[in-house]
Amino acid sequence: MSGFETVFLYLAMSLLAVSGMLLISAALGPFRPKPEKIDTYECGVPLLDPCHKRYDIKYYVVAVLFLVFDLETVLIYPLAVRYKALAHLGWGIFFEVFIFVAVLLAGLFYAIKKRAIEWD
Amino acid sequence: MEDWGIAIIKVVFIWVWTLLCATVMTWVERRGAGMIQDRLGPNRAGPFGLFQPLADGIKLFTKEDIVPANARKILFSLGPILFAIPAFSAYAVIPFGDKIVVGGKEILLQVADVNVGFLYVVAIGSMAVYGIVVGGWGSNNKYSILGGLRSTAQMISYEVPWGLALLAAVLVYGTFSLRQIALAQQGTFLGFLPNWGIFKQPLGFILFIVAAYAEANRVPFDLPEAESEIVAGYHTEYGSMRLGLYLFGEYVNLYTLSALMVTFYFGAWHLPYLDMSKFLGPISYGIASFIVFFLKVAFFLWLFVWVRWTVPRFRYDQLMNLGWKSLIPLALLNLFITALCIQITA
Repeated sequence: MSGFETVFLYLAMSLLAVSGMLLISAALGPFRPKPEKIDTYECGVPLLDPCHKRYDIKYYVVAVLFLVFDLETVLIYPLAVRYKALAHLGWGIFFEVFIFVAVLLAGLFYAIKKRAIEWD
Repeated sequence: MEDWGIAIIKVVFIWVWTLLCATVMTWVERRGAGMIQDRLGPNRAGPFGLFQPLADGIKLFTKEDIVPANARKILFSLGPILFAIPAFSAYAVIPFGDKIVVGGKEILLQVADVNVGFLYVVAIGSMAVYGIVVGGWGSNNKYSILGGLRSTAQMISYEVPWGLALLAAVLVYGTFSLRQIALAQQGTFLGFLPNWGIFKQPLGFILFIVAAYAEANRVPFDLPEAESEIVAGYHTEYGSMRLGLYLFGEYVNLYTLSALMVTFYFGAWHLPYLDMSKFLGPISYGIASFIVFFLKVAFFLWLFVWVRWTVPRFRYDQLMNLGWKSLIPLALLNLFITALCIQITA
């Protein structure tokens, strides 16, 4: 067994247990819905306006930045695992990492300079 | 067939064990809070209030399963499931001890020693954010949506330094298999220090632990559920076992993160300056390695509680500044220094 079967077994166990917990809870709990009970909770005050309002564009900017940085991180993963073996061959691999990280850093400083992550 | 038997035993054992530890953690957290704040904490259910988690569990199971009238029903039900399954499954590739020999058969104390264990942990760990954002959005409540948004921005912001800190550690060990990483930490480093990750990656460990607290939504980064600002954040509308899944998932996450810290930075099951396998029998060595690993994990679990009742909460702009302007540049710098050191010593 290579191990991945066991990982799937583990995932299946989680799925089973989670659905089991929800089912047991649904079976054991009472069911007496009332209009006041299932109303949206806003500290007991009647709801004045709809919940989905405009929210800050900043969240979107952070998500876009995250995509860029996470993708770049993922690109370093294969390099990282082979780095030790490749380091014996000379400084080429080091400069590769250096350029990669430098590009990332330049992008980060640009984003900071453009006030992409200012929350005030 | 025998292999499957052992695999099933290991899966069930470690699954139940992590959940049990998470349950006990709720008690430790409340008793620890009592201790630190000079009060008693829960002490009525059983000796020292030890049955308190049990009572809480029974309460959660028997509560009414309310679905708000305005909620998006499918997303609302999906939220806790999406949060809990990754949280419960992340431990599958992390070791919990070295190995034990029973009846001439060597059993690794790890559910699955896959060669991409590290990638599995990172991938599964980043799934949790879906549960929070889907639950927060599906609740159709202002607090929930705000909490969900905050949480998403926070978790994805800190995932970058989290991944980069671990990446520098991977540079040092040169493998994605968590068992190989653990094995590499035997012996001494520079002749007098234990050969642990912390001594090779001191900055990496600090970055990792800060980012881990943010990933787990723990104080001082518990803004997604800042109760004084947005009630309970993304799980405001949840009750019954749906809320229970969110809470349990969080504590299981703590266990996983602590185990990761121990595996990457604190020598896994190795004791400093002492090779247990030399003077312990095969069975007692297996048990001893499990206990050593667990004690280290327990220390980091306690650290989570300790920090929670010591440090005040960050403001949102401070949180974002810390993440993007300090942690990420530092993580990149750490990566650079690590690469340089390996290159020089190669």
